[in-house]
Parts: sequence; C-alpha cells; structure tokens
Amino acid sequence: MRRLNKLTAAAAVTALVFAGAGCSKKSSDDESAAGEDCVEKGDVKVGMAFDVGGRGDQSFNDSAAKGLDKAACELGFEVKDAEAQDGEPESAREERLQQLVDAGYNPVVAVGFAYSASVGKIAKANPDVNFAIVDDAVEGENISNLLFAEEQGSFLVGAAAALKSETGTIGFVGGVDTELIKKFEAGYKAGAKAADPKVKVQSVYLSTPPDFSGFGDPAKGNTAATGMFEKDADVVYHAAGGSGGGVFQAATDAKKWAIGVDSDQAKTADESVRDSILTSMTKNIDVAVYDFLKGVEGDDIKTGPQVYDLKSDGVGYSTTGGHVDDIKDKLDEYKQQIIDGTITVPSK
Amino acid sequence: MTGSRMTRIALALAAPALALVTAFLITSLVLILAGDDWLGVWSQILSWPTNRTMVNIVNSATVYYLSAVAVAIGFRMNLFNIGVDGQYRIASFAAAWVAGEALLPGPLNIVLALLAGMFVGAMWAGIAGLLRVTRGVSEVISTIMLNAIATAVVAYLLRKVAVREEGSNIISTKPLPEGSRIPGIPFLGGEIYGFVVIAVIVGIAYWVLLNRSRFGFDLRAAGQSESAAVASGINVKKMMLVTMLMSGAIAGLVGLPLLFGQAYAYGSTFQSGLGFAGIAIALLGRNHPIGIAIGALLFAWLDQQSNPLQILLDVSPDIVKVTQGVIVLTVVIAYEVVRRYGVRLEQRHVAAALDPQFQQKEVSA
Amino acid sequence: MSNTSTDPGASATGAPDVAVRLRGIGKTFPGVVANHDVDIDVRRGTIHAIVGENGAGKSTLMKILYGVQKPDSGTIELDGQPVVLSSPSDAIGHGVGMVFQHFMLADNLTVLENVVLGAEKLHGIGDGARTKIREISAAYGLGIEPDDLVADLGVGARQRIEILKVLYRGARIIILDEPTAVLVPQEVDELFDNLRELKAEGLAVIFISHKLDEVLSVADEVTVIRRGATVSTVPADSVTSRQLAELMVGSELPSPSTELSTVTDVEVLEVVDLHLPDARGGRPLLDGISLRIHRGEILGIAGVEGNGQAELVEAIMGMRPDATGRIELNDGDIAGWSTRERREAGIGYIPEDRHRQGLLLDAPLWENRVLGHQTREPNIAGPFIDRRGARDDTERIVREYDVRSPGIDTLARALSGGNQQKLIVGREMSSEPSLLIAAHPTRGVDVGAQAAIWDHIKRARRDGLAVLLISADLDELIGLSDTIAVLLRGRLVGTFDPGDVTPQQLGSAMTGATDEEETA
Ligand SMILES: Nc1ncnc2c1ncn2[C@@H]1O[C@H](COP(=O)(O)OP(=O)(O)OP(=O)(O)O)[C@@H](O)[C@H]1O
Ligand SMILES: [Mg+2]
Repeated sequence: MRRLNKLTAAAAVTALVFAGAGCSKKSSDDESAAGEDCVEKGDVKVGMAFDVGGRGDQSFNDSAAKGLDKAACELGFEVKDAEAQDGEPESAREERLQQLVDAGYNPVVAVGFAYSASVGKIAKANPDVNFAIVDDAVEGENISNLLFAEEQGSFLVGAAAALKSETGTIGFVGGVDTELIKKFEAGYKAGAKAADPKVKVQSVYLSTPPDFSGFGDPAKGNTAATGMFEKDADVVYHAAGGSGGGVFQAATDAKKWAIGVDSDQAKTADESVRDSILTSMTKNIDVAVYDFLKGVEGDDIKTGPQVYDLKSDGVGYSTTGGHVDDIKDKLDEYKQQIIDGTITVPSK
Repeated sequence: MTGSRMTRIALALAAPALALVTAFLITSLVLILAGDDWLGVWSQILSWPTNRTMVNIVNSATVYYLSAVAVAIGFRMNLFNIGVDGQYRIASFAAAWVAGEALLPGPLNIVLALLAGMFVGAMWAGIAGLLRVTRGVSEVISTIMLNAIATAVVAYLLRKVAVREEGSNIISTKPLPEGSRIPGIPFLGGEIYGFVVIAVIVGIAYWVLLNRSRFGFDLRAAGQSESAAVASGINVKKMMLVTMLMSGAIAGLVGLPLLFGQAYAYGSTFQSGLGFAGIAIALLGRNHPIGIAIGALLFAWLDQQSNPLQILLDVSPDIVKVTQGVIVLTVVIAYEVVRRYGVRLEQRHVAAALDPQFQQKEVSA
Repeated sequence: MSNTSTDPGASATGAPDVAVRLRGIGKTFPGVVANHDVDIDVRRGTIHAIVGENGAGKSTLMKILYGVQKPDSGTIELDGQPVVLSSPSDAIGHGVGMVFQHFMLADNLTVLENVVLGAEKLHGIGDGARTKIREISAAYGLGIEPDDLVADLGVGARQRIEILKVLYRGARIIILDEPTAVLVPQEVDELFDNLRELKAEGLAVIFISHKLDEVLSVADEVTVIRRGATVSTVPADSVTSRQLAELMVGSELPSPSTELSTVTDVEVLEVVDLHLPDARGGRPLLDGISLRIHRGEILGIAGVEGNGQAELVEAIMGMRPDATGRIELNDGDIAGWSTRERREAGIGYIPEDRHRQGLLLDAPLWENRVLGHQTREPNIAGPFIDRRGARDDTERIVREYDVRSPGIDTLARALSGGNQQKLIVGREMSSEPSLLIAAHPTRGVDVGAQAAIWDHIKRARRDGLAVLLISADLDELIGLSDTIAVLLRGRLVGTFDPGDVTPQQLGSAMTGATDEEETA
C-alpha cells in the first residue's frame, strides 16, 4: 500500500507536468483575415511557423501574425499557421516546416531564430519553395532573412528614458537571457549614456534558456520592475514579450514610467496601464512580413538579408500619448545621426 | 501450467491496455468538450506513419529510452532522480564542448566526448547523492534545485565558449568536426541515429546488472528495505551514492544521440525537458528494459504523429501531452487493479483445487 | 481425534452472552487456504485463547475480525447482530479493538498524545482526554500516567498503552496477537492481571499465543486451529498443555532431550569493554560490556527489552559505527570491519525484527535466501547471482526447517510470522557459521517448530558452533544456554548458571529488583 502511494505520487507529479504543458492550447482562427474589405482569395497559400507562444503572445509572434493577416486580407492569400512547443526537438521544427510544404504552402515564413537550422535544412530539401525567417541570418538560395536593428530603436528609447528620468536611474527587464534580447539591452544602455553619461542602468533577465517562461510571465515581470522602482529607478524598459504586462502594472502602481516593445503598446496594452507607457520601441515585424509577402505577389522576392533599421523605418519609437513630445527633437536628432552613421550603436 | 502462464501474460498486458483505453477516452472527452474534431485527431495519430515520421519516432524513442533507464536505475533503489533533466543538459554541453575542441582524432574523439558526458552527468547527480548520504537531504529536493543550477551554469559556460555565426541569434558550442559524428543507420529510406546501438547496449547492460548480478541484488535489496539491506551487510550509503552516479552517467548519455546524430553542437535550441519524459516512461515501463522500450516508442509515436495536427486540423499537438499524462497516471492505478484481480482469480483457483466442497458451497451461496 | 468441544451450534442463536460469533469463515491466499469453515463463539466476560501451529491461520482470522482483511465466505455476528467489517475503523465502530504484536506508538510523544492520535473527536485532546485516560487506567488497573513520554517506558507499559488505546476508543472486544512474546515473566503476570480485570468488567478478550502454559493459566476457553480450520474449542481447565499441543499438530510432540555440555576452551568471540554512546546524549546504550564465547558454547543474554540487547547485537554485527571497544572473532580483531566482512568471516545473524531486518518482504523466498549471503556459495557464480544454486538451496531449507509455503517463488510477505522466522533461521544456519548471533530465534514460532529449531541449534553446537542467544523467553534461555548473563541498562550485571536458576530469579535480576551480590 505504501509503495503504491509513493508510486502514485510520482505519477501524479509527472502527470501534472504533462497536463500543465497541455493547458496552453490555443486556437488559431484566421478570422481577422476574413474581414469584409478583403479581396477575394487567390491561389497563393502562405504557411507560417511561429515560435513558442504563438498567436496571442502580444509580442513578436503576434506582430508577425499581423503582417500575415494583412497579407491574407489585402493580397488574398490563403494562410495557415502552426506554433512551436517549449523544449521541442529540432526534428519537430523540421517536421512543421516540411508539413507546411507538403500541404502545398509556398512561401513558408518561420518566426524566430529557433528555426535557423531547420529552415536551412528544409529550404535546401525543397528548392522550389520560398522561405523567410525572422531574426536569423541563415543562408540559402531560397531564403529571405528578415532582420532588425533592435539596438537602434532601443537606443532611442534609452535616450528617452535618460532624458525623462528624474532620479538618474533607469531599468531594463529582459524576458529571456538570449543573444537577441541582449541586443535590446545594449542599444538601450548606449542610448541612455549618450543622453546622460551619469545615468545608472539596472538590468534583469526573467529566465535563462532552456526556460523561456520569461517571455510569458507577467508576475515575474511585475516583481522585477517593482524591485527596480523601489531601488530608485523611475523608467523601466521591457523586452520581455508577454511578461511586459506586469512591468506596465508595476509602473502604474508606482506611478513611474514604463517603455513598451515590439509594437506601440500604448495602443495595445490593457487600458488601465496605458498612461504609464512613456513610449515603445517599435520593431515592425508585421511590416517586414507584409513586405516579403507582397514581394511574393509581385514575383519580386528578395532573398538574403533584408535589414529593417531606423533608416527603413523597420524599427523606431512611438509617440502615442504625447509623453515624449517635449524631447522629440532630441530623439529625432539621435535618429538622424544613427542613420547618417555618425553614431554607431553597439549590438552587444 | 501453460494455462496459468497464459493468464499471467494476459494479466501483464491487461494493465497497460487498460491505461491506454482510459487515456484514449479521457483525451477524446477533452477534445469533444473543446469542440475539436476528435475522430480526425485519432485517425491522424493512429494512422500508419510515413517513413520520415517513422525515422523520427525511432530517433526520439532512443533519446527517451536513455532518459527512462537513467530514472529507472534510481527507482530500483528507491531514489527519485528528478534531476535527469539537468544532468543530461549539463552533460550534453560538456560532451559537445569536448567534442568540439577535437582534442583527439575522429572516433577517439567520440569516445572521449561520451566519457566526458557520462562523467559530468555522474558528477552532477553525485552532488545529490552526496548530499543525501552525508546530510540526509532528500534527492527529490536537491535534484530539482540542481536542475535550476544546471540551467544557469550551462547558460554561463555556453556564453564563455560559444561561437556565434554572424547575424544569428543562436549561440552554440563549436560544431563537431565531420569525423567525430556518429553516422546514421539506414532505415526506411532515412537514417536513424547510430546511437540506437548504444541505447540497446545500455538496455541490456541495465537488465543484466540489475537482475542478474550481485551488485544489482544489493541495489534492489537496498531499494526494497534499507534496514534489511544494512543487516545483510550492504553499505547502503555507498549504494545510494553509486546508484546516483550510475543514474547520472546514463543521464549523461541522454542528449548525446542528438549531439552526435543531428545537432552537432550544444546551443540555445537544444531539446529540453527529456528528463521529465523519462520519469513518465520509467513508470509506464515498470522499470523493465523492454517495458521502457515500449513506453519510449509509444511516447515518441504520440509526439511525432501529433506534429501535423495543427496544420491539418487546427488542434494543438499539446493534446498528446494530456494523453501522455493520463497514461502515466492511469497505468499505476491499472497495474494495481489488475494485480488485485489476479490475486482474486488465483484465490478462486486454489480454493477450488484444494477443497471441492468449498467450491460447491460458493456456488450455492 | 479427541473432541471435547462445546459444540458452538448448541447454544441458542443470538444468546445474550455471546459477544463474537464467527460462522464458516473462509479465506484463501494465492496457493494457500488460510481459513476455512472457522466457527468460534466468544462469550462476554471471558478470555478466549486461540492456539495453533505456525501458519494455521490465527492472525488471518483475527485480521478478518478486525476488518483488515475481507473473508471470502462466512458471517460475523457481534452481540447477536450480523455485521460486515470492511476496515479497522468499522471494527472499532462496532467495539472491536486489536493490539498487534508490533506496537504502533510514537516514541517522542506522550502517552496522552499517542492515545488521542486519530481519536481526537472522542474526548478532545486536552483535559477531557487526560481525565478519561486516568479513569480507564484506574478502572482496569493499568497504572498509566497520561503525561509520561513513551520513550521512557518499558515494553510492558507500552503494551498497556496499546490496550488503553483500544479501550479509549470504546472497545468491548479486545484482540491481542501474541502479546506475551516480548514480555518477561513478571510482565506477563501483570498483563494477565489486567486481562482478568477486563474480563471482570464484562469485556471479551481474544488472545493468541504459542506458550501453552500461559494459555491455560489465563484463558477460560481455548480454540485450536489446524490448517485453517477449527479443530475444537475446549474449556481451559479440562486440558493439559500436552493435550493442546497434540490437538494442534494432530500427533504427539517429540519431547526435547537435555544435552551434555559441549563447551570447549577455544575462544570464538571475545568482546572487551564495548561502549556505545547515546546519540541523543542520554546514558550510554552499552557501557563497558565484556564477554567471551567458546566453541560449542551458548551464551544467553537475559534482559527486559530496551536494555541494550539490540545495540549489543548490532555493535557486534558492525552496524553501530559509534561503538568503541575490542571485538575479536577467532583471535582476529574485527572491530573495524564492515557488516559484510563480519558475515563473511563466519557470523550468522538472526535479527530481532524479522520484518525490518531479516527479510525483503516483497521478494520471493529464494531471493531472501540470498540476502545476507550474497557474496557466498551457493548463491553466486562470479559477479553474478547463481539462481539455480540459490533456488535449490532454498528448497532444501524449506524442507529441512518445515517452512510452510506454496513454493519458493512466493513472496516472503505471504508467509505467516512463524514460517518467516523458520526461513531466517534456516538461512543463517546453512552457511555453517562459527558464531551465531540469534536474537529471539523462536519468537512467534509454534511449539513443534520451536523444538525443531532448538534441535538444529544444539546439533550445530555439538559441531562447535558458538552462539550468542538473546531471548525474552526464559525457558528457552535456561534450556539452551551454557551460561546466562543479564543485561540491564546497557551493562552486564550478573552471570547465572542455567542449571540452578529459576525464571523468577532471572526475572528479578533483569528488572534490577535484586542486589548484585545475590547473583551467583
Ligand atoms: N498476505 C498474505 N498473502 C498470502 N498468503 C498469506 C498472507 N497472509 C497470510 N498468508 C498465508 O495464510 C496462512 C495463515 O497465515 P497466518 O498469518 O494467519 O498464520 P498464523 O496462524 O498467524 O501463524 P503464526 O503462528 O506463524 O503467526 C499462511 O500459510 C500464510 O502463508
Ligand atoms: Mg500470526
């Protein structure tokens, strides 16, 4: 009997681990693509493979989805998407891409650098299909790389943070400690120092790979940001996907500023916290995806690296709410200097 | 005699069958409640896999198998090594790093990396073993914490030794030189990991060691009753430590099929969570090398066959996680139910054989 | 077959004085019929003893009455009402309580805490409960103080707490499974006085014992069970213990023969100044023990449980790393050796707690044969277990020691207590040890098997075996030993010649009632 209990306990623990993973089912209705003003469906079928989190992450997956949906509507593409699972094997990513290809989808867009190797491999195996990958530079004849100069956009919001700070201390909350997010941090710090050489920057990462929960845990975001506000910071920039909601909440509670990321979050975040959002670093994945798809339509696909930076308006900062109106000139000056090359923003 | 043997085999198969049916029903219920096409889901999962998927199933089962054996070794000695997850990650990293440095030529480099992986896995598990025998810290707690620490350590070290391709956001260890990769074995038009051979060897060694050797006897005895083991002359603390080291050494192999057969480097996208799957599969396979193999294939089948669900049916493949979870939970209960049924069955046989009147009375009662 | 039974069917059904009526109880386990057609009536205000060989089905029957096991057939009536008992709480609800052979008390709790544990609803956990305990204790002369710490109490007192626990829960029918196995004679007498009190208060007491003289001295009626079935129920004043024994085994018992001394002057074991400190800082568990045993000699250790017997044995076996002192086996110092090395050097070991130390309950008999001997013939072949060898030798032990089991693949758990004990004795004797450390070698073993085990030990002694014998059974100590030493509070306080010592004298020495100069 005791033995059974111990076994059952072990089994229950295990089952919980599995069931917990099973709760995150998300439907991927393409309703937005079926709006009234959309053009008739043509015969182009686009497949999109999301990173962990998929649609509804209020972050970069959603941003990519927005571009996809826009293409579905305006260009009449038929779309299909599928998302990655936490900790999955390489073969699962390859399968996902291959299955999209097998089901007749062309082009196939992979969202996130985790697809680097699998896109490389599947693109090689399917030379007639066009692939695009967001955030990665993997090479191939039929691969378009949609790359962003996140550090440039982050530079501008870093400068904004330093200019707006009264305490001289600002913060950075990174979702997961990856190379990509380090780019955000590097740019942010550089911008802040440029605007105020004496500024102090606190920075924290919510989780470390292979734990990617830092991109989807508002409670962790809240704790981290609250800690910073308590330690004198009065502006906190987050590059933490879904955890950002917690950062905004913390800013609202502490009556301090937060800076959004990826999209103009003063428009998309919960109404109650929007007033605490100073600005957002916009990374227009949707624009990049749409551009790419538009190229498909026009039979003008640009393969190889497509860099979206300040110059091409692939990254930038938002002005919703008017909180940065007073420093806008200063920020635009920096922007121009970066575009000119007078300022080179470090990426790590 | 053969009759009772048949019954025994039938009973042994009844439990997993019962668990599978239950898991099938519960998963269907979840699907129906969520308004998904449950028939479609099953017809995809139960369809015969394509050759490519078959290769993936075997590959993924190989990895699961090693993980489950690592867990099972602990289970046999009543140690719950939840830390296989951390052990294999840190060991895979170490093996990848060593192999990437190419200190020795070709195949020798493979051997060196294998040993490095097993050594690091063993050491990492050994920490938990040492804490248990010297400080009485439960291995459940310490291995969970060591998992978290392994994550941090690997992240830190990876950044130190990592190479990063221009423009890529992935960092990883130096890729293995061509000569230090383990060639695949042709299978159904594809290639399965050459490491399958090592997994089979591990399975056989596990069985012989545990069930046939003196050492295995000591290990099992210590697992069944610590006090009886002590009285019989077994140094239980030493056994605990050795068991943890062995479990960790096998855990050190878990990620290596991926390393030598597919990824060729340890990077931020290396597969994680294999240790937890191992716990489930060890339970499912009742710590038996064949049972574990079947469990590993089953889990791999469910995983791989569910991959296209999103694309074909808009159903998240996460649904098979529910199936897997339910299987693990129900299989334990099913084993007990079937065992009790078996005991009753036998009681009736014995009673009938020993006492004809007894039988009559029972009929009349 | 002599049948002096009072036919249970004769008394009117539902007779008011029948507290327990069992009819046609049957129970089978894989490969064995433990009970079939058991009919017993236990009257209120009586003490009813149940006797029978090892594996006769006594414990099983009592577990059925206590709701631990479900009968396959038959009916149970309590006070004339048919009942179905599917759990111990069911049984307690119907006024049935059981005291198991192994006490289930938490050492570091007080009596009060132990008693109310799980019965908090009855009289609370505070003064209400305290008063109630005092009341019960006074009513039945149990002499228990609710605020004593259990750890400080002796075996007899612990047993009384177990009885009190059962009474506290309102039991009117009390079952005791082999309650006297661990008690010294004085404690046995006290227990019996308590039982008589209970009976005077109108309770029914059922108790199991292998000690037939005791049975006859305290019981009103005795039911004999053989191979799962009731043979007869007899009034205790109409039979002798010899007759009982014959009823039990169905034939006459061999009478044990007295033996000449075989003691030589070759020393096998010498222990000098053995100390073992108490890890919790109390008085030392062993305090300057010195003893020697020669070839062909049996040294008996008498003592009330908890005076250091277990520690002495474990220290000699190398299971107590804190022990200091010199231990020499066959003239070699073994003090630093591991348990395994000591076993390999020729020490056989019958541990006192067979469930915890002697067996792997969930392993088959033949694996239990290997246990403790897993580095030796016939169990091994190189680094591997020799299954064939081990199995064959298990068959031999089962045959020679009369272990009643359906087969050697049966799990040890499925054997009756006495048969488990026989297996252990057989195993430890089969490696031809030069020294046997035997703690209660016949505890729970029936009279027939007891005699057989004694014969085995005596035969080995004749061939030069040295034995350190620990036993709570003074007749056994006196009958087997060449010398008896008394262990009290971790010290050897006296040596007796078994030729001219009575159990009563020994008993006094063991409880510290005599002055040391009185010891011979
Ligand atoms: N849980 C069990 N599973 C299988 N068989 C069992 C189980 N418990 C008891 N038995 C068998 O039932 C029979 C009766 O056992 P029981 O314990 O009742 O004997 P007993 O009269 O108490 O003997 P002892 O005097 O040795 O304690 C034995 O043959 C024993 O092997
Ligand atoms: Mg018994």
